[in-house]
Amino acid sequence: MLEALAAALATFLSAPLMIALSRRLGIEGVDVHKPWKPKVPKMGGLAMIFGSLLGISLATWLHGWSIFTPISAACLVAALIGAVEDIRGEINPKLKPFLLIFASLPILLFGAYSPRPVVPFLGRTRLYKVYPVLVMASYPVVCNAVNGIDVLNGSAILTSIPFFVMSVIIFQLRGEQALMLLALIFLAASIALLPYNLYPARTFIGNSGSLFLGAAIASIAIAGSIEIAAIIALIPQIMNEMYVIFSIRGIKSAKMIEKRPLKVEDGFLIASEEEDSPITLLRMICAGARVDERKAVYAMTLISMFAAVLGLLTDILLIEVMI
Amino acid sequence: MKLVRNVLAIILLITIIWVTFLFISYVTSITILYTLEQFPGNILLSVFRVVIGALTAGAWIAGWYKLTKLWLYKILLPRREET
Repeated sequence: MLEALAAALATFLSAPLMIALSRRLGIEGVDVHKPWKPKVPKMGGLAMIFGSLLGISLATWLHGWSIFTPISAACLVAALIGAVEDIRGEINPKLKPFLLIFASLPILLFGAYSPRPVVPFLGRTRLYKVYPVLVMASYPVVCNAVNGIDVLNGSAILTSIPFFVMSVIIFQLRGEQALMLLALIFLAASIALLPYNLYPARTFIGNSGSLFLGAAIASIAIAGSIEIAAIIALIPQIMNEMYVIFSIRGIKSAKMIEKRPLKVEDGFLIASEEEDSPITLLRMICAGARVDERKAVYAMTLISMFAAVLGLLTDILLIEVMI
Repeated sequence: MKLVRNVLAIILLITIIWVTFLFISYVTSITILYTLEQFPGNILLSVFRVVIGALTAGAWIAGWYKLTKLWLYKILLPRREET
């Protein structure tokens, strides 16, 4: 618990520094959903990264759990890719998934996984050859899914929190103290950044923050063997990403897409009614309504909470009984 | 009210995806993953298993997307003549 508290404190206290640094370096983005279109620092996610890594380092020092090293490395690789994107501009959207495969390497090299996932109605499987390939594929998918849902103030963090809460409960039930503490550290650091990232955001978490969160989620799911529960808890993020790819027919830069899924009128979000506009979770939430940005984020959070409850129920009723 | 209705409709959609995912995870495990992992002796049967698994998973994803389009354009968004 001390480690999670340290992660939260470090995140909360370092965020103003990261915001100032981001402003000084001119790493800012326009908040397009506000009528006054403010420029907002993009590197606030660094505070969450710093806080999480401090908490993890403290836990490693206090308990000597070796599982934390590959997970920290995986998250750092993803965050680094995001930081490059924040500083130098968008990475080619077709190259980015390949780069994110590198985030899986620390997990694979350290063997921080069990290739025997439990599948509902089937039981424990043996996937010694296939599982490493699935690990490599999981990082681009999850990181991009979390990145893709980071469209409104606080949306990436608030939709990730239910996953971390679900993980804490599952690991507590299994008696896996190291993984529970790890999920708790990520949860604490995420919550600590919220005061700066919620509407009206004083900072964005940036690609560095969202890819870090995605890598944290993928790492916890793999190292903690909660793959099925994680996939279910991440259905809102995954479906959002899948809809975009399907509706724009491929992996493309947002700048290349002419039709927008939403328009903003007087600070309210209105879903496009054109059939060739990209389908997103936010467009579905706002369909046929004028939605305030804050309410839209709460709606996304509620949907993520529901998915996490389904993930938890699946784990308790269909997975734990087979372990 | 429309926002609440939309959230409830998406939650219902997620529930459908969840139930079907449980089935699909089972099917892909006993077809694609089993074959790739175990390399059973009969090649014809192995190919058949992988094809069946891939077709089922592909149909599930296509069905999921079709269902979402139906949800968005027929249920969530008001009909054009009404707007």
